[in-house]
Amino acid sequence: MLKVNQLDKTYGQDKHSLKSVSFTAQPGEVTAIIGPSGAGKTTILRSVNQLIRDDGGQILLDDQDIRQANKAELRKIRHHIGMIFQNYNLISPLTALENVLHGRLGAKSTLAGMFGLYSTAEKTEALALLTEVGLKDYAYQRCDQLSGGQQQRVGIARALMQHPKMILCDEPIASLDPKSTKIVMDILRQLAREKQLIILINLHQIDIAMDYADHIVGINDGAIVFEGPTEQVNEAVLQKIYRQSADAKVKVAANES
Amino acid sequence: MIENSSSEPKIVKPKVPNTERISLMTKPRLILRSVLAVLGLVTIYSLVTIDMAGLKLKDAFHSLGLNLNAMFLHPNVGQDSWSVLLRGLSTSIALTLLTTLLGAVIAFFIAVFSARNLSPTWVANTLKAVMAFIRSIPTIIWVLIYSAVMGLGANAAVVGLTFHSIAYLVKAYSESIEETPQATIEALKASGVRFWPIIFQAILPSIVPALLSWTFIRFEINFANAVAVGAAAGADDIGYYLFMASGFYFDFHEVGLIVYLLLGFAIILELISMRLRGHYLKSN
Amino acid sequence: MKAKYSSPQQFFRQRRMRLTVVLVILLLIYFGSVLLVNFNTFSSLAQIPAGLVWLFKTFIPNQHTTTYLGPIFYQLWRTLIVSISSTICAALLSLIFAVLGAKTTSPNRVLQLTVRFGASLLRNIPVVAWAMILLFSFKQSDFTGFLALFFMTLGYLTRAFTETIEDLDTEKLHALQAVGANYFQCVFCGVLPEAASTMTSWVLYMIENNIRDATLVGILTGTGIGFLFNQYFKSIRYDAAGLIVLLIAALVIVLELTSTQIRRAIA
Ligand SMILES: Nc1ncnc2c1ncn2[C@@H]1O[C@H](COP(=O)(O)OP(=O)(O)OP(=O)(O)O)[C@@H](O)[C@H]1O
Ligand SMILES: [Mg+2]
Repeated sequence: MLKVNQLDKTYGQDKHSLKSVSFTAQPGEVTAIIGPSGAGKTTILRSVNQLIRDDGGQILLDDQDIRQANKAELRKIRHHIGMIFQNYNLISPLTALENVLHGRLGAKSTLAGMFGLYSTAEKTEALALLTEVGLKDYAYQRCDQLSGGQQQRVGIARALMQHPKMILCDEPIASLDPKSTKIVMDILRQLAREKQLIILINLHQIDIAMDYADHIVGINDGAIVFEGPTEQVNEAVLQKIYRQSADAKVKVAANES
Repeated sequence: MIENSSSEPKIVKPKVPNTERISLMTKPRLILRSVLAVLGLVTIYSLVTIDMAGLKLKDAFHSLGLNLNAMFLHPNVGQDSWSVLLRGLSTSIALTLLTTLLGAVIAFFIAVFSARNLSPTWVANTLKAVMAFIRSIPTIIWVLIYSAVMGLGANAAVVGLTFHSIAYLVKAYSESIEETPQATIEALKASGVRFWPIIFQAILPSIVPALLSWTFIRFEINFANAVAVGAAAGADDIGYYLFMASGFYFDFHEVGLIVYLLLGFAIILELISMRLRGHYLKSN
Repeated sequence: MKAKYSSPQQFFRQRRMRLTVVLVILLLIYFGSVLLVNFNTFSSLAQIPAGLVWLFKTFIPNQHTTTYLGPIFYQLWRTLIVSISSTICAALLSLIFAVLGAKTTSPNRVLQLTVRFGASLLRNIPVVAWAMILLFSFKQSDFTGFLALFFMTLGYLTRAFTETIEDLDTEKLHALQAVGANYFQCVFCGVLPEAASTMTSWVLYMIENNIRDATLVGILTGTGIGFLFNQYFKSIRYDAAGLIVLLIAALVIVLELTSTQIRRAIA
């Protein structure tokens, strides 16, 4: 279980991006974070694996506080947190298979990692994962020759190769067409169910969130304004999540003039 | 400007171009023109004041013509034998290969620490400044300096040539490294991968084409430098024979032959580099 | 596309094979070259720090060095302006050659090939050869250095300019032709303004490069700053030689910074 308690983040001097954010995400469930652009979704997600150093609060993954971990411990924790990006972030000249195997690099010593020494079991597993996401035939293809949807599935296989407890997805479908979107989202939901993973996902598309998420976290201007099961989300809740604060309106107006 | 003038009917020329010209003198253009003007003035000054050492230009060019004729139309081995010249050429090539390989390997590791996206800014900047300093001193001076330390000979030549290669390649390599998207590096960092595995498994594969192409460019430069070192610092390579043939024996037939040898090698290099580039374009 | 490999193991085996072959070839080349030039890798590399220490001890200008300042500055100045003038003269000629030789603007194919071949010839004759060939006819004068740099620069810039012109958008050229502009109008209004800033960048780069080469040419032909360095160096006046090295470095760095600024401003 992931439990975030009163997380705070201030960029620079006065840019208060996260205001005492608290929520939980359960294994076996898809948890979606939704909110307007600039609300702080990315900031939350990247704080969870400490790519961004926040200013205060608690992030408990199975009762271990990630924020207290030292460098070596953090590396170990990160190895069990998969991450999926809007732009896939694969190493494009390498094959899909090699990119999937990169999921094991974090578990290796410096030397074994440098030379990319993978065991037979790892190689077989990588191929099996590619098969699982429907890319068996593309295993030896360079990644820049794959479509966006295929690349995203390679990204998922790479995350799975880490044997993760949790997968963080930052707008994983923002660059995909409806068909690829469905494939990717189906895979993610299935993973949550079958492998009992925590899936934490930032989404812009409300309809997708309603279709796929079990649990919704609504954020507006750095503060949680809703948390609960998807069934509880209604028009009023959405209004609250997506309303523009008076502050923001002034800012937008100022920016436009 | 082209589109505008083409859409305008031709008859209304008088006023339109004038107003256009004014708007065209943007700041970049102004700077460009002033730079060219300054360079032009310096050129004129330099040509007027250049030291001709009492040369009669007509005679000089006449003699140059005779020499070129002797070189290119009647080349022969002169004082030395084919085997000596070919050994000289292969020494130059070996010197080039050696200094390029050594330089490339060392430069890669230094480049990792001088890339802004991998190292702390102050380390990167310091290294870059040191490399810029080394680079700004001509290769031949490095060779001469090292020959004063180590004695004239191959060792000094190799070290001097390598020194400059490293400084050159560090700049090229670190810029290639800096071009790899931060996001892909971060993706691996986020899964707990250590520093060196990221370098070798993620960054290196993405920049191999760029590294190869820079290394090849340096290879060509190093060949020219190897010849120069032979001529100016007396390493026992083709440059030395070139220097002796033209500076001591005044045998332009031999100079011609040596120039042909150098050209031949250059052409082979050019062909190889075209093939290499073609290979990489295809696989991309 | 179907999988080309029967198993990941086979794929990685093949990868490893290829890598091993490349590494073995490189090692063979390395050790072959080491044997040919008689190079002692470890003892030589080990001397690099010692060399630097020696350099910083002996190449430090002292109070006595100031007496050399006059001739050094004079030669440095000559080297600078000769580098500039040889580059500019070569650039003017290259411009004509490039227009005649670039695929998009060349009036005919024979000319195109001739220009390419000529440029390649000029470029691939090492600057040493230029210096030595010219030395005989033009004696020990700045003019020899000027010509050597000029010919080499001509080769480089012709190629660079040709490529610059060929990289330009051909659409605009066609548009101009469509409006009925003649050849010269096309070149002067369509091609040159577009290419001017890239070409200027190349010119600035060649000036920098020529300063470094001028030192070499000077050593070979006994003129300019190179000659002065060689003279001080051979007569063990290391303080003066060191001053020259420092000043050349300063000059090149200043030029590099200036041209970076200019490039940014005209981009
Ligand atoms: N590196 C940074 N420096 C300063 N401010 C930042 C930085 N990154 C984000 N912010 C600010 O923090 C706030 C939250 O940003 P965040 O990227 O988390 O929003 P988001 O909800 O992911 O938006 P989007 O949906 O557009 O991706 C924004 O106001 C943004 O301007
Ligand atoms: Mg975001």
